[in-house]
Amino acid sequence: MDPNSRDIAEYEQAVQAEDILFSYATNSGQNVVAVNHVSLSVEKGGYLAILGRNGSGKSTLAKMINLLEVPDKGKLSVFELDAGKDENFWKIRSHCGMVFQNPDNQIVGTTVEEDVAFGPENLSVPLPELAQRVEKALGYVGLLEKAEKQPSSLSGGQKQKLAIAGVLAMEPQLLILDESTSMLDPKARDEFLHLVRRMRQDKKITVIHITHDMHEAYLAERVIVLEKGKMRLSGTPSEVFSQVETIRSLGLELPKWAELLCEVARLCGVTPDQSDFTSEENAVRKICEIVKTKKADPEKREEKPAREVSDQVVLRVSNLSHRYEKKEKNALSNVSFDVRKGEIVTVIGHSGSGKTTLISHLNGILRPLEGSVEVWNEEDKKYLSTDKNKEIKMIRRHVGLLFQYPEYQLFEETVEKDIQFGPKKMGYDEETCKKLTKEALPLVGLTEDILKRSPFELSGGQKRRVAFAGILAMDPDVLILDEPAAGLDPAGQKEIFGYIETLRARGKSIVLVSHDMDEAARIADRVLVLKKGEQVFFGKPKDLFSEGSDYISMRLDRPCLMQTLHELKKELPYVDEVLFDVKEAAQSVVYGNDGEVNI
Amino acid sequence: MKDVSIGRYVQGESVLHRLDPRCKILLFILYMVTIFLAHSALAMVATLGVILFLTLLSQVNPVEILKSLKPILFIMIFIFVINILTIRSGDTLWSWWAIKITTGGLKKAIFMAVRLVFLIVATSILLSLTTTPLKLADAMESLGSPLKVIKVPVSEMAMTISIALRFIPTLVEETDKIMKAQSSRGAEYDTGNIFQRAKGYVAVLVPLFVSAFKRAEELAVAMDARCYQGGKGKTKLHPLRLKGSDVLWTLILVVVAFIPLAVDLLQNLK
Repeated sequence: MDPNSRDIAEYEQAVQAEDILFSYATNSGQNVVAVNHVSLSVEKGGYLAILGRNGSGKSTLAKMINLLEVPDKGKLSVFELDAGKDENFWKIRSHCGMVFQNPDNQIVGTTVEEDVAFGPENLSVPLPELAQRVEKALGYVGLLEKAEKQPSSLSGGQKQKLAIAGVLAMEPQLLILDESTSMLDPKARDEFLHLVRRMRQDKKITVIHITHDMHEAYLAERVIVLEKGKMRLSGTPSEVFSQVETIRSLGLELPKWAELLCEVARLCGVTPDQSDFTSEENAVRKICEIVKTKKADPEKREEKPAREVSDQVVLRVSNLSHRYEKKEKNALSNVSFDVRKGEIVTVIGHSGSGKTTLISHLNGILRPLEGSVEVWNEEDKKYLSTDKNKEIKMIRRHVGLLFQYPEYQLFEETVEKDIQFGPKKMGYDEETCKKLTKEALPLVGLTEDILKRSPFELSGGQKRRVAFAGILAMDPDVLILDEPAAGLDPAGQKEIFGYIETLRARGKSIVLVSHDMDEAARIADRVLVLKKGEQVFFGKPKDLFSEGSDYISMRLDRPCLMQTLHELKKELPYVDEVLFDVKEAAQSVVYGNDGEVNI
Repeated sequence: MKDVSIGRYVQGESVLHRLDPRCKILLFILYMVTIFLAHSALAMVATLGVILFLTLLSQVNPVEILKSLKPILFIMIFIFVINILTIRSGDTLWSWWAIKITTGGLKKAIFMAVRLVFLIVATSILLSLTTTPLKLADAMESLGSPLKVIKVPVSEMAMTISIALRFIPTLVEETDKIMKAQSSRGAEYDTGNIFQRAKGYVAVLVPLFVSAFKRAEELAVAMDARCYQGGKGKTKLHPLRLKGSDVLWTLILVVVAFIPLAVDLLQNLK
């Protein structure tokens, strides 16, 4: 049969890439190889995850499949059509759907239904089929009642569903997800992934998923890992993740249960097999087997060092309420908590629970409608209040606030000027500004050679650090950080959390907003839980997740590690399930709580 | 996040809301001509009647319509004063030093101010208050389509307008976010002299532009991925279709538009 006249859906291999190479020239004339001799194949209905650090060539690879980029060398066929031939161009592209990272930057339509119609309109789909496709797609993702609304009225999760609907209306064979879930909160992320799973089942759509989330990678049938454009690992999730050392050296992480497995195995001197990495269940089984059969090495036992927190309250919020419009209901009601010197308080809650409203109050960007926000001023030994206009400037000097995705706040010609913007505004002299800048850099892993560069030529991760340094250079006592690690690769996230812990050790107080329940619980001294603008919990993370606490009614997800420990506890009743640190958990599993077990 | 209203569209189901936007644009041009041709005082009164008729037809709260006059109040006064001072004809009413107010000047000034009010009200009723910006863009695309023959990229221009409309709420939100972030770093926008304030806004505008360009770039890739190929062969979910009622109402409104001109004509005949 003539390959040009066949039905587009008749193929076995969705994507076949042989030895493809892609390079581009930078502004300074350097030639960068983004994808370096990569070969891969995805069969029809398959699910491939692509992992790797930021800038490892993942997106470029995905864009080539959708013909948004053309490989310099190598052979690429999509749906068994040669991608190099012009006549196949629209056939391939019109059957590939792509959902990008930023929900806002892929919506074209002024209304929800217009946006869904955009793809099929471009494919010249006539009415009434066009309207039917739009309705069907919106129904499928559950946005039918929003059809005539403006996209800006949707939440982030709904916007990504809208993007999926826009793809569905084009009746795709292949769906490419380019970090599509990275800007979503856990609930929206679950819903999104559920939708993708349903599409695979109902429509046999092939999925290629670029992600930084290791739990998401485990949903795939096959995983490839890229490093600087080269394919370093490829195989089933268990084949890839059982190569623990390589995974870590590539800037990735293991899912929490696999981390626990490795740590327990290390303490008992065994090496887990690939089969133990196939699923959480198998890992739990293996951990039980190890603990029951092997003697642990008592030398490796560690006590968790006790942390001391001073009694000095540096930030005090009392009965804080706020609403944006007179007739609306409160965005925040009656929130009271305090932050002590050298303490991390994490704020958790779903999107729309009032987290951003709360943190905007902490440095006086918003003023309390009721209640008060007070900040300790060490020099005068008294509290400043955001109620008083003349104290606002002083408060901003004491409380540094870093909003989500802070890289957008960079604007100066050089990194140095940008970092010094804050300190200068705070009235420090030239000399002090220079000193503060120099001190801030190493705290976020930057070196002085970056100072003369333009912030706009830096990578995303570097920009994030520069923005962070800009706040640190104001030398605040209290740092308010809104999702400081969002959108970074696992190694980058780990580094950011590392900096935060170092800052705490230096006596800074930190209020941290985070969606990552595992990190939020692990790093926190105390946790503040918001639900629909109301404070439902304030206290130690252990108390939040311990038995008898009603964190489920707060609609919080249990940290992944706790989930694993919960499963383990069924076999090993002595295990403490309310632990948030893998090392600590492994110690508890292996040595028991009082040390009498298994030695 | 709320629905940020673009323009000043007021939701409604009136005859004018439902009228084809292309007809509305053409009618608007006709009414503009009428307003400027109406000459006598009587014709002006007739025009007022016509405007009131349109207001009634649109079922929009008159307060909304009056609100649209607020931004041009200054220009109105300016035109009034200029006219009254520069036109010298008829009897002198009042004079002092170099200033001389004449009956002719006063008449002309009042006429000009009233015309301006009529013009703004007509724009509001026919276009901005009863037509969504998107429909306006659609109508302009449709009316401009003959220009495609001389290679004017009409569809692309309409696409640009509609994307701009789509991104207004996003950019408003972003501006707010950046202002808050820079305030946290000590930036001030409402203190100091005009230069210091302008400097304060640099810290907002630069990131806003950088981000807008980034958005544009990402959006272009996303549009490419959804097979955008310009206006060629593009179908439409809600194409503009001229209905019988559109034709009927357009005819009625055309006749209404000629009433003030007829009044002028009759006066001249006498």
